[in-house]
Amino acid sequence: MNRRGWAHLKKDGPFHVKTPKTVLKKVLVGLVLFSFGAFVAYLLPFLMSFSGVSGCWVHHPLLPILVMTAIFVSAYKSTEQWVRKFLEKYFFHKKTFAQMTLMDLANDLAVNLDIQEIANLVVNTFGEVLQLKTVALLVPDPFQNNYEIASAFGWTISASKKVRLAAETPLLKMIHQTGPHVLMRGPVLQSLSWQEANALACDLDSLQAAWIIPLFVKGELAGLLAFGALAPDTVFDQGDFHFFREFAAAIAPCVHNAMIVKRLRQLNLELQDSQSQWIQKTKLNAIEKLAAGIAHEIHNPLAIISGKAQVLLMQRGPKQLEPNVQNALNAIVKQTHRAADITRKLLMYSQGSRGPQERISLEKVLDETLSLLAYQASTDKIEIVKNLDRDLPPFFANIQEIREIFLNLLLNAVEAIGTEGKIVVELKYRRDEELIEIVCSDTGKGIPAEHLDKVFNPFYTTRHEAVGLGLFVTKQIVHRYGGSIRVESQVGIGSMFILQLPYVAEAIREKESEETGATVWGA
Amino acid sequence: MSKLLIVDDEVEICEFLKSFFEDRDFEVAVANGGSQALEKAATFHPEVVLLDIQMPGMDGLQVLKKIKEIYPKVKVIMVTAVETQEKIEEAMRLGADNYITKPLSLEYLEKDVQDKIDNLAKGF
Repeated sequence: MNRRGWAHLKKDGPFHVKTPKTVLKKVLVGLVLFSFGAFVAYLLPFLMSFSGVSGCWVHHPLLPILVMTAIFVSAYKSTEQWVRKFLEKYFFHKKTFAQMTLMDLANDLAVNLDIQEIANLVVNTFGEVLQLKTVALLVPDPFQNNYEIASAFGWTISASKKVRLAAETPLLKMIHQTGPHVLMRGPVLQSLSWQEANALACDLDSLQAAWIIPLFVKGELAGLLAFGALAPDTVFDQGDFHFFREFAAAIAPCVHNAMIVKRLRQLNLELQDSQSQWIQKTKLNAIEKLAAGIAHEIHNPLAIISGKAQVLLMQRGPKQLEPNVQNALNAIVKQTHRAADITRKLLMYSQGSRGPQERISLEKVLDETLSLLAYQASTDKIEIVKNLDRDLPPFFANIQEIREIFLNLLLNAVEAIGTEGKIVVELKYRRDEELIEIVCSDTGKGIPAEHLDKVFNPFYTTRHEAVGLGLFVTKQIVHRYGGSIRVESQVGIGSMFILQLPYVAEAIREKESEETGATVWGA
Repeated sequence: MSKLLIVDDEVEICEFLKSFFEDRDFEVAVANGGSQALEKAATFHPEVVLLDIQMPGMDGLQVLKKIKEIYPKVKVIMVTAVETQEKIEEAMRLGADNYITKPLSLEYLEKDVQDKIDNLAKGF
């Protein structure tokens, strides 16, 4: 920082500029006083003779000059004031009107606590009444230790979003040294060495500003008002700068208070967020404990029921079961598995992403799942077609969860079809978007449009014998992997479920370097 | 005849599994607890063990560890009522050869047990 240069600026007052208004004012004052003086000097001999004063000095040629000088000296101040008032009233009233508007605004802002509203009002009013090209109000961002534009006038929205002024930039350093003075581009740059001037000019350019009004509250920089004019020769006079400082002092506390309120709101939101997360976690823990307890208590009796039925169904030997007995036993096996499915799904939902993740082959997992359905599909005349990308990469996931996804999608399709139809399962790798896409379409009865947004809700089902957790759990799993799931459907034609899972190549590589030769389940 | 040891604290589960595998010409022994399972393993010399994870006293994971220590060649299939990922992970780490969940699919179980025995015969 060029200390000498700055001292020079302060002493001589860098902001004193001869504007047309001051020149006109001085000329007018001179004219008025001269005419008045001349008039008095002209009338003086008559007045003297009238009042009976006589003597040769009455006609002395120096007397009018003496009188005129006396009038000049005694009436200058009052005449200047009068001329200023006259000029401002009839010729320069625009500026005082602007100042009044801005001070009114500053008073109104004192009761406003919304920083966005304050910023919008300040930049728009400031820009409109002073007819500026650009105005931007910058406020501190406590999280990133820099200043960002809260609102801008004459800027494109995208441009104003990009500007961020770090706390160590030359401009802010300079402002902390100069205090609440208004910074003027020209004089300030001239007072600096060219390197410093260059750096500062960069900051000013990024703000599209020729003037900066700092907003200080008790020595703390609460914000910046940066503005630029339309015409390059626009000038402000001493009175304007005086007003700018007054305006800054009036709006700075408003901006400061509103920023405090904004920060409080943010902290409050964060608190609410972590609270609801905690509640959700506690809920899930409770569900998990409950589900685990129920699963243990129920799955053993279910295993016995289903096991005994299966033993009868699969027993070898000459004696054949009656068809009705066989049907009953099949129903027992099927229904016990369905009952077990409920607790299994609840557990899957509540356990979250705690399962082990490993490299899996999606194709293998799909084949395993298809083999589970093969029996039912063949009895129901359902054709299942696989359509796979050749270069499907290994996926990094929990195998149970991926199985669950396939199983739920396929079961859903089988249920939708009923007795006869076709299911197409597609696995695609979208290399450009780094996505794995799973598409499962069926020729089933379809989903009415008004139900489309409900199919992923828990306990939503159209089948009276189903629980309605399948698609809900699927969605939960997909979301855990940062993916998305959507459904397209037409009644009478069929439904198509489209899942997209982000493919994370790095995770695989990292994991591989960590533990070489890890078990590859399902691969 | 292939030898199969069934370990479960639920007597009825042991019962139907026994009848199912005996029907398929297996020689089956049954244990209803962890320590009993280890005794049976010592005297019966099974090729495959079906081992329940949750049992009072010595649980399935402890039994698995002991069996794999003493008889590393014996194939162990874990049977569990609750698919807790931690338990399954630990079982796999301790050397379990597979796991299945209750209620069981006997078709799948038979195939899996047969696979293990075939593998043993091939010397895996």
